[in-house]
Amino acid sequence: MTATTTGARPSTNGRGPGDKGGTAKREIDYLGILLEGRAFIALIVLIIIFALLSDSFLTFNNLLTMTKHVAYNAILAIGMLFVILKGGIDLSVGSTVGLSGVIAGVLLQGWQIDAFGVVIYPPVWVVVLCSLAVGTLVGYVNGLLVTKFSVAPFIATLGMLYVARGAALLISNGSTYPRLGGDPELGNTGFGIIGGGRLFGIPTAIWIMVVFALVAAFVLKNTPFGRWVYSTGGNERAAELSGVPVRRVKLRVYMISGFCAATTGLIISSELTSAAPQLGESFELNAIAAVVIGGAALTGGRGNVRGVLIGAFVIGFLSDGLVIVGVSTFWQIAIKGAVIILAVMLDQAQQRIKRSKNAALAASSHSEPTTTPSTS
Amino acid sequence: MKRQILAATVAVITIVGLAGCSGSSGGSGGSGGSGESSGEAGGLISIITPAQENPFFKAEADAAKAEAEKLGYETSVASHDDDPNKQSELIDSAISKGAKAIILDNAGADASIGPIKKAEEAGVPVFLIDREINENGIAKAQIVANNAQGAAAVAESFVAALPEGGKYIELTGKESDTNAGVRSEAYASVISQYPNLVSAAKETANWSQDEAFQKVETLLQRDPNVQGIIAGNDTMALGAVAAVESAGLLDKIKIVGFDGSPDAVQAIKDGKLVATGLQPAVLISQLAVQQADKFIRTGETGEEEKQSIDCVVIDAANAEKYTSFALED
Repeated sequence: MTATTTGARPSTNGRGPGDKGGTAKREIDYLGILLEGRAFIALIVLIIIFALLSDSFLTFNNLLTMTKHVAYNAILAIGMLFVILKGGIDLSVGSTVGLSGVIAGVLLQGWQIDAFGVVIYPPVWVVVLCSLAVGTLVGYVNGLLVTKFSVAPFIATLGMLYVARGAALLISNGSTYPRLGGDPELGNTGFGIIGGGRLFGIPTAIWIMVVFALVAAFVLKNTPFGRWVYSTGGNERAAELSGVPVRRVKLRVYMISGFCAATTGLIISSELTSAAPQLGESFELNAIAAVVIGGAALTGGRGNVRGVLIGAFVIGFLSDGLVIVGVSTFWQIAIKGAVIILAVMLDQAQQRIKRSKNAALAASSHSEPTTTPSTS
Repeated sequence: MKRQILAATVAVITIVGLAGCSGSSGGSGGSGGSGESSGEAGGLISIITPAQENPFFKAEADAAKAEAEKLGYETSVASHDDDPNKQSELIDSAISKGAKAIILDNAGADASIGPIKKAEEAGVPVFLIDREINENGIAKAQIVANNAQGAAAVAESFVAALPEGGKYIELTGKESDTNAGVRSEAYASVISQYPNLVSAAKETANWSQDEAFQKVETLLQRDPNVQGIIAGNDTMALGAVAAVESAGLLDKIKIVGFDGSPDAVQAIKDGKLVATGLQPAVLISQLAVQQADKFIRTGETGEEEKQSIDCVVIDAANAEKYTSFALED
């Protein structure tokens, strides 16, 4: 039962009775709306405050720069959303960011194969594919550990956090790959475009974020896989009994997360035109924070792409805004923490109101008591 | 239990491996046997440094190893990853292996005092490199780079690159690291003498390239007419270079760093970075090993305990002579 209702999409008939029952209680809904859109409201409030404090905050160029910084985290967070919807967590994304950058670094600087005594300089698209494949592979291993070996997601991905970071350090021998611009003679130029380029005046990182968000939203809303993700996270047992291929879903969500992490790694290394094995430390926490601020439940089954994007914007605009206004670093860290806690507190409050409203509805009308949780 | 066996196996393999290596390359080491300050070189020198994933510490460890092998010692190299507990274990194992001396880049000014005392009491002299401890008279030598002098020298090149003055951004290192504070103060002491240089922002980027990149991009939005960026280390300086380059302001903004890392020196050669301060890690390691050698042979180092080695500024004029964390003569 819970599995299908949290599955969100087929809620067109679920919403009918909810509206009819709600006409009498219009007043309460204001609070509901306020809570529903709290992350968006927080974002607007942030923008207004920073715009008042600094003239340079609300300029087109600054918004563009900040949005680009948001994109790094947003892409990670979209991948993280899939995992969290399924009821898991992926702590390895930060290390995967570092690893995929290093893979790109190795290949662009020339991959030495000692056995044949040759150095291979693959073209950029091959480099990109290899990096993405490695990131997805890290996700695949996470998924295997969780499904086949029944390791708790927190532990499995914590382990992979260290394994992937160790691999990045081993491959690079601890040093940074500088100058990834490529060499025209070798035909491997163009890596810089991924993160540093612009299309119609907008940085490519932002375009990539938009594409990822659209695809993720489509997949979650309009495909069987999307519904499976929600139902697995809502009630795994029920989902399994109703024929959802739970293990395959689990495996896939970690691969998606790994893929997204690798993409972020490519974007940042491209932007810096250098790949450091230390890149991405503690990125996983920012990604989780964005998902949580966006209203997703860490227990799974509830959350959406729109919320995650807003969450990423709140975190990104907050940290860049504090830099522009000139708040000391220590305050920046503390304020960020406070915002995350506040977001989760409000989320809890919203859930409580919703539950009591559902109970009231169930009591008043004996029609289906299925107001769907915020999934649209 | 399993873990202990595994650890022991790894340790044995490492020791055998190292002994094998140095045996083949080194020469007459290890023949002395039971000599204590026996007046002759030979025996094991244990080299313990922080994480080798950092090229700086790697250069430091490599230099100590090479110097010790040159002087006819066996070596064992290990890293404590800034974990005082691991450092203590490594020192224990150096004592039990009968090391003649320990070359140590320590894991904490206070936390390291106990383990060093332990080694000295067991008759193993300790020679500290790169970082000091908060007590004198325990270690045989404490040889460190003069961060204050080096940072002041870097600040001088920064000021010289900005004869007209202007606004500048300072990127500082991790606030918990004493070197971050020392460098920042030295920068300030020089720059404050030039009233036409105005601070636009002072932000920490936690020694990180990516963080420096994002902060500089953001700060340039606020102050597009910044003329200089002075960073507490090279990694952050290179992050600043990337941000300034993508804003197309490379010819307007002068950037300096600190550490003398290979990437930074390359950036100097490319004309993207003005200068960096070279911490003479290689020289410090060599000095420590030489003094350890002298102590083993004669019972004294012939130097004061606290030694501070000056840093050298690398800029376009001498960048060609640079090799990893050292300048050729």
